[in-house]
Amino acid sequence: MRSTSLAVGLGVLGIVFIVIAALYAVGVLQILTSTTSGPHYKHAVLFAVLAVASFVAASFARSRTA
Amino acid sequence: MGLLQGASELFPVSSLGHAVLVPSLLHWSFKQSDPSFLPFLVLLHLGTATALLVLYRGQWVAIISGFFTAAIRGQMKTDSERLAMLLLVGTIPAAVLGVFLESRIKSLFASPYVAAGFLVVNGLLMLGFEVVRRRHEKGGSRVEQESQFANAERISFRAAALVGACQALAFLPGISRSGVTIGGGLLAGLRHQEAARFSFLLATPVILGAGLVELPELFKSGVPVLEYVAAAVLSGIAAYASARFLLRYFRSGRLDPYGWYCIGAGLAGLALLHFGLW
Repeated sequence: MRSTSLAVGLGVLGIVFIVIAALYAVGVLQILTSTTSGPHYKHAVLFAVLAVASFVAASFARSRTA
Repeated sequence: MGLLQGASELFPVSSLGHAVLVPSLLHWSFKQSDPSFLPFLVLLHLGTATALLVLYRGQWVAIISGFFTAAIRGQMKTDSERLAMLLLVGTIPAAVLGVFLESRIKSLFASPYVAAGFLVVNGLLMLGFEVVRRRHEKGGSRVEQESQFANAERISFRAAALVGACQALAFLPGISRSGVTIGGGLLAGLRHQEAARFSFLLATPVILGAGLVELPELFKSGVPVLEYVAAAVLSGIAAYASARFLLRYFRSGRLDPYGWYCIGAGLAGLALLHFGLW
């Protein structure tokens, strides 16, 4: 049960990271950036990687319940 | 410049420190404050990353395949799968620190004094890693000593994250990425050769990712792209030769000679710059 909750939480976190990555890529999000306009591809790639890591972690957490 | 970067990138002597320091000492016409300087360095790094991909092409196929297999299954069953996950865990801290600290660290790039100073620090770190390592070594010959330590696949996930975080130190000119990650690997209980292999594998996605993201900036800045690409090719060739040499060297070799070199080069650089002798 605990692992299922963890897996769901990590999956949701992954989706949040994807949204943040998209917002950085289109230039809507400007938090913690060196310039205050335009897209920030480095930040977008970083959050995409974090999303992948979250989904992988969710997969590992899910497999523990099986 | 390409040869210098490629040769120094994988040696634990800080390519960035040399890239900042050597042009200044030799009065090369690079303007380190120029917006195209960092993208140029990144392009040279792309040459290095390509060399590492070629060198470890078989392993990368297994790692990528292992990554998807383990991610979908939710379990690691083979060494390649474990190594893939270790590299993911090791890459994240460097990527996070790199993205959020980059603008602050960039301001240090333009100073050869800073590069020379950190080169000395890098040398002290290399010597320190070996001092700590020697305390855990037993046996007479170097082969016996090295045989007590582990392969890269056996490193713990916590250690992989710490070694990955150490990569962020390499954003400081003068601190060597390969040096701190090889040193981190040694502290985590890896053999010298395996610490070097883990360092090279860990560096590849970060260098490649940073390079690909910076590439558009290079083409925007109106620089002679073909010359820069030629430099990147030279960098790749030098990096490939360096990696082959280092993997052979670390079968029994240590970080000490590179530590002493960095201290000497850093001090000499500081003296030459301070007294205007060059």
